[in-house]
Amino acid sequence: MATEVELPRVVEVAWPAPAARSETPFAQGVRRLRRSATALLGVAIVALLILVGVFADALAPGSPIASDHAQTFAAPSWAHPLGTDQLGRDMLSRVIHGTRISLLVGVSSVLLALFVGVPLGMIAGYHGGRVDTAVMRAMDLVLAFPIYLLAIILMVMFTPTAGLIGTMKVTGAIAIVRIPIYARLVRGSVLSIKEKEYIEACRALGLRTPWILLRHVLPNCLAPIIVTTTLGIATAIIVEATLSFLGLGTQPPTPSWGWDLKANVAFIQANAWLSLFPGLAIFVTVLGFNLFGDGLRDALDPRLK
Amino acid sequence: MRVWILRRLLQIVPTVLMITFVVFVMMQSIPGDPVVALLGDAYTEEDAIKIREAYGLDRPVLVQYVIWLGKLVRGDWGASILTGRPVLSDVLVRLPVTLELIVLSMAVALAIAVPASIIGALRQNTWADYTATSMAMIGVSIPEFFIGVLLLLLFSFGLGGLLPSSGWVYLPGTCPTMVCGVSLWGNLQHVLMPALALGVGRAALLTRLLRASMLEVIRTEYVTTARAKGLSERPVVLKHAFKNALIPTVTVMGLQVGFLIGGAIVVETLFAMPGLGTFGIDAIISRDYQQVQGFALITAFAFVVINLLVDLTYTFLDPRIRYA
Repeated sequence: MATEVELPRVVEVAWPAPAARSETPFAQGVRRLRRSATALLGVAIVALLILVGVFADALAPGSPIASDHAQTFAAPSWAHPLGTDQLGRDMLSRVIHGTRISLLVGVSSVLLALFVGVPLGMIAGYHGGRVDTAVMRAMDLVLAFPIYLLAIILMVMFTPTAGLIGTMKVTGAIAIVRIPIYARLVRGSVLSIKEKEYIEACRALGLRTPWILLRHVLPNCLAPIIVTTTLGIATAIIVEATLSFLGLGTQPPTPSWGWDLKANVAFIQANAWLSLFPGLAIFVTVLGFNLFGDGLRDALDPRLK
Repeated sequence: MRVWILRRLLQIVPTVLMITFVVFVMMQSIPGDPVVALLGDAYTEEDAIKIREAYGLDRPVLVQYVIWLGKLVRGDWGASILTGRPVLSDVLVRLPVTLELIVLSMAVALAIAVPASIIGALRQNTWADYTATSMAMIGVSIPEFFIGVLLLLLFSFGLGGLLPSSGWVYLPGTCPTMVCGVSLWGNLQHVLMPALALGVGRAALLTRLLRASMLEVIRTEYVTTARAKGLSERPVVLKHAFKNALIPTVTVMGLQVGFLIGGAIVVETLFAMPGLGTFGIDAIISRDYQQVQGFALITAFAFVVINLLVDLTYTFLDPRIRYA
């Protein structure tokens, strides 16, 4: 009868107990995430913001774009908890609706960058040779640009507009500058994974390349992708706010935190709250994603710490 | 080593060429015509054709780029379409302002991050560490322009106009015209808030990176050895641990240069500083091709040179790293 060899205990490494062995890496990650108070705070902030974004119409006390010239620069009051701007628009409604734009641009630009960057990185890393050189040189071309120079020129090229189209343009510009980050990250992981024996076994079994990449390579490089994605959303939200601040993001009347902050800077001497609240909104959102991302990194990929 | 530096310096040329070429093509594909803006209400088709010919804007894009490049080799950066002023002199006038901003903001970043990260790592999981890491987390989550607004509220409007909210006073000897404010004290007053706005975010990022790598380094055997042979804490921390902890930090800071350039544009815009950032953004928005090329050239050059300096820093930090 074979007896199990007693392995030495390693300090601070969770050695899988026989009963826990069936736990998937994902479940392990969730368990570790739940133990971190700061990560949970991040999750709570992000969840709250998503709710605010989804139910913005119901939550906002008024229209974010309806101006009331009798109520310009009203100080915070019961009727307007965050005051009104130079056009008499309710700041609370603008800040609430701004959540939608920030989250939409932050999340969708990162997803777009993922959908292009991850396959490119996988193909480059897995095939190597000329494909790798061609893809990575193209990525290096984008990375050779200072990120804001490229994003600003792209936005001028796309001509910033208001509404959903305007939001999509910003999303596209941020996605383009973020693609190489994912391509490089995934390529690096794939380079080491493709040499593993289980991938060789897949090839020996005659599995087709797309299947191997999707079912066997991708799941094994998910941890760094998830971590980079969450932290990437925080960066994308800052880039969106910065572009809006420079007047190159989603155009008014669509509410955007960066734009509101900039538009109200001229009046802050007498009306400090006007720039304060959009700025605080950006800060809390970015903080939420950063805390969540940090927690995920510690939970999923402690080596990255 | 010398050969390596020379090779790296040569590599700067194709990268800068590539960036300026892509920017050139992108700018030309932007809808709208700077000639229309230049002529304004007095626009007639004949005048427009004349101006396009004068600036070579009627030629194919590739030809225009080659012409620009040919002039550049001879030291001519072209002239602004809208103002007619030579681009090089505009860039040279504005460069010192941005350089001062960036150098001071990095100084702010280092002055905060180095002590904060060392204390955080040496006193891990104490209130000092929690304070440092929490402040750093807050710092990386605030965009530069919001820090700028908070500083404005505090120092320009809150404390009775302690610091000026916008404008610029030149350092003695850097005034580009006959009519500008020149004073060391005035300059310091004007640059303090922008440098803080740009520096605090870098400080936060640096603190996080340095603390993490310090924590790794102080657990290595050579640090234990240094302590075991009786060295006092100061040289152990500064000479043995800190220097090695700098290596991964320098890499990330090198990658951050792109963000620093963006930060400079934003901070200069907020504080209405006559630097390269405001020059660049104004040029891009008004589609002044020649000025944009000048901005792209100087930015790309700075970007590549800083990355080269980052690589060179490795050899200083870790003499085992040799470039053949």
